[in-house]
Amino acid sequence: MPLADTMTNRTNIAWSPDGTLEVLTFDIGGEIFAVEAVLVQEILDPLPETRVPGADPLVHAVINFRGRVIPLADLRVAFGMDTALTGEDARIIVLQIEIAGDPTLIGIITEKVNEVTTFLASAAEPPPLLGLRWPRDLLRAVVRRGDDIILLPDLATLFAQVTAPSGEPATLV
Amino acid sequence: MSASILTVDDSASVRMAMRIALTGAGYKVTEASDGSEGVAKASGTRFDMIITDLNMPRMDGLTMIRELRKMPSQSGIPIIFVTTESDESLKAQAKAAGATGWLIKPFQPDQIIRIVQKVLGR
Amino acid sequence: MSGDNPAATFRLEALDVMDEVERALLDLGRRLGDAQLIDAVFRGLHTVKGSGAMFGFDDLADFTHHCESAFDKVRKGLVPATGELVSVILAACDHMRGLIAAEADVAAGQVFLDGLSAALAGAQGVTPVAAPSAGAHWRIRYFLPSGCLANGINPLALLAELRELGDCQITALTDAIPPLAELEPTDCHIGWEVELSGAITREDIEDVFLFVLDDMEITIEQIASESTPANDHLPTAETGAIAEADRATKNTARVSETVRVPADRLDDLMNRVGELVIAQSRLSQLAEDSQNIALRSVSEEIERLAGDLRATMMVLRMVPVSQLFGRFRRLVYDLARETGKQIDLVTDGEGTEVDKSVAERLFDPIVHIIRNSCDHGLEDAAARRAAGKPEAGTVRLFAHQAGGQVVITITDDGKGIDVAKVRAKAEANGLIEPGANVSDHDIVQLIFHPGLSTAAAITNLSGRGVGMDVVKRTIEDLRGTIEVVSRPGEGAVITLNIPLTLAIIEGLLVRVGQGRYVLPLSAVEECLELSEEEDRRSQGRSLISLRDRLVPFLRLREIFACDSPPDPFQKMVVVASGDARVGLVVDQIIGSHQTVIKSMSPFHRRAAAFAGATILGDGSVALILDIGHLLASAQPREERLRAVG
Repeated sequence: MPLADTMTNRTNIAWSPDGTLEVLTFDIGGEIFAVEAVLVQEILDPLPETRVPGADPLVHAVINFRGRVIPLADLRVAFGMDTALTGEDARIIVLQIEIAGDPTLIGIITEKVNEVTTFLASAAEPPPLLGLRWPRDLLRAVVRRGDDIILLPDLATLFAQVTAPSGEPATLV
Repeated sequence: MSASILTVDDSASVRMAMRIALTGAGYKVTEASDGSEGVAKASGTRFDMIITDLNMPRMDGLTMIRELRKMPSQSGIPIIFVTTESDESLKAQAKAAGATGWLIKPFQPDQIIRIVQKVLGR
Repeated sequence: MSGDNPAATFRLEALDVMDEVERALLDLGRRLGDAQLIDAVFRGLHTVKGSGAMFGFDDLADFTHHCESAFDKVRKGLVPATGELVSVILAACDHMRGLIAAEADVAAGQVFLDGLSAALAGAQGVTPVAAPSAGAHWRIRYFLPSGCLANGINPLALLAELRELGDCQITALTDAIPPLAELEPTDCHIGWEVELSGAITREDIEDVFLFVLDDMEITIEQIASESTPANDHLPTAETGAIAEADRATKNTARVSETVRVPADRLDDLMNRVGELVIAQSRLSQLAEDSQNIALRSVSEEIERLAGDLRATMMVLRMVPVSQLFGRFRRLVYDLARETGKQIDLVTDGEGTEVDKSVAERLFDPIVHIIRNSCDHGLEDAAARRAAGKPEAGTVRLFAHQAGGQVVITITDDGKGIDVAKVRAKAEANGLIEPGANVSDHDIVQLIFHPGLSTAAAITNLSGRGVGMDVVKRTIEDLRGTIEVVSRPGEGAVITLNIPLTLAIIEGLLVRVGQGRYVLPLSAVEECLELSEEEDRRSQGRSLISLRDRLVPFLRLREIFACDSPPDPFQKMVVVASGDARVGLVVDQIIGSHQTVIKSMSPFHRRAAAFAGATILGDGSVALILDIGHLLASAQPREERLRAVG
């Protein structure tokens, strides 16, 4: 059953014709999140980060990914989670997403990467109106898997704030 | 990288001619109008090269070169003095004072560029 | 402008050629037998003869023909060049100049021609000066005076000059190096033995050592071409042949041979070179950390090669702005017709070179600026007459290189920018308070503000939705700057400063807190250490005294919110652009660094303080500071400074 998206802001999920979606799941802030596997370029061990003074806390640093300087995002900031913990299972997932029509590489900090798995559209629901800790407009769907609830974030909405050209650039001084 | 050159000459038109030639070739130019200003400017910044006239009021070129060579920070900086073709004794004096080489006047822009490239190696 | 008068144009060109011929003759006088110089003289005379005939300068053509034939004999080796011949032709040059200016007495030319015949006859009997035969083989052995380094002699520059003369085999002579205990590090203890082959004379070699020749030990011996030097050299016959071929290619190359390359191939190549520079810097890092001497020396060699490659790449992409400027002539011609005004376009510095992609991106902004000048700046003929100006307005385009930048100025002699109109518009847009005390100069800068279109009637020419704000943004995208100075009644000057290269710059690496940052070295004026007292005294202030001048400064630790403990002695880097200057206080100045610029993602493009990022030798990332932004943020302090006087 295809997911009818009633809220126009939320990005549509590209379910395959037979109602499945390949995703990579990962842990942050005590929750399990997922991103479309097709967006994933690589999974890296933690790298030295270079802080960008004056940048939005969501995208506070950059890293050297194969000779390119790419932004490093910490989704925990968007969800108000504690950003202190990154244990030895921490990894960086490098995604290629589209920003204003241009393909852009971005790294996502994770506390643990789990697996590549397949979601069924039948197990997915729009985020509930009540009882959810997290802002609804940042999530596209929640998926039930056994005892787990896996969140499918809306990266476009998450990043829109930071990348939208809005008159004067953010000044540091 | 653009090398930075200090030109020292009491004639504004000569300084201008040197500036035009040198900046046209991509060098950064700082000017001084006599020896003491030359010493002051050189001690504040380490230039890649200094080009100086010898005959100047207040402090002449030879004195300036001697003063500069006393300063450890100026060791090894090429100093070129400007002279007329015939003045051999002055050349010897200048070299004894610590000058690196000379430029013969009157000179065309490409001649000054050639000397700069020769001395700097770029 | 002599555009419509071919004879006048010919005169100017011919005089230029005569200057070159004269210069070549003077050089030839000191280096008789130099085939290239002989060629240059011949070609110049040939050109003057040919064009002269074309434009009706028959006397000139006839006279020059004789000189040209004489030189042809020399060129073909039938007659050697002699000092006498050279001086006769030199004298003849003056006569030719006279003929060009139509001021010479044609009959007087006969005197020169007689002298020419005499000189030729004399030359027939002379044994030719040993022209450097292709494949001359030299062995040079030298020791520089030991104190030469302190006096600014650069042994490496000497070696580089020798390399330029021809094929070199260089061996360092280390026997004179004293034991460590007696070693004076500032002296030059190394000697060199250089085997040099090519079309080189002894004078060429002595010229390299011009400044030290009198004080040094040097032996220069010519080895017979048949002898074979040490075992790992190529057989001399081959060397000779190669040298000959080299020289031939050098000569043909000089007759401007070009190859067309699609621009995107150059871009690809540029990217590869950029990657190479990064990888090489990592190699340098590793080599430095290792104890392996052989590795270090190879790493240094690669560093040198990468630097040379990079320099060559820069040059490949350079095109003269004449291509760009040429397109504007037609524009001004059309604008003159459309506006009904008389407009002259004067250009200068057309030979100045810029990166090809920069040239392309400059076209639109400059078109807009010229349109503005023609439409709004220049007055019509009547108004100009009333103002005592020549009826034709002039737009002047001037380009030159200064430091690592190309500077292009667009000047018009119109009425300048209408300050009152801009002020009114700014007040209407809420940019400034009505009646606020803002200087005229600052009002004029507002033309770059979006939304401030000051055309009273948006004419077809200028108001196509392209405003000065877009122009500014285009220039800033090229990492350049744009400034405007307007003189009421006299005109306006717009100055564009564009870096010569977009992709790789020489940078100065500094550390602020835990992070490292790069400043473009071309903007750096000086570096100094703040004494404890100066540091303390300037806390909380924004101006620092630097050699009797007050300079605004910024403490980057504060701006970047660094919480690590500061280094005990803070350093200051003074950067400047034009007249604006600011001191940046940092924890440590690390050193120069060849910086391959990586642009930031859209996530960080809004951080105006940074113009990009780069990857350092150890693989970490350093952010590149935007000088324009830093200078601008120091502005309020500069304002206060100016207010104080």
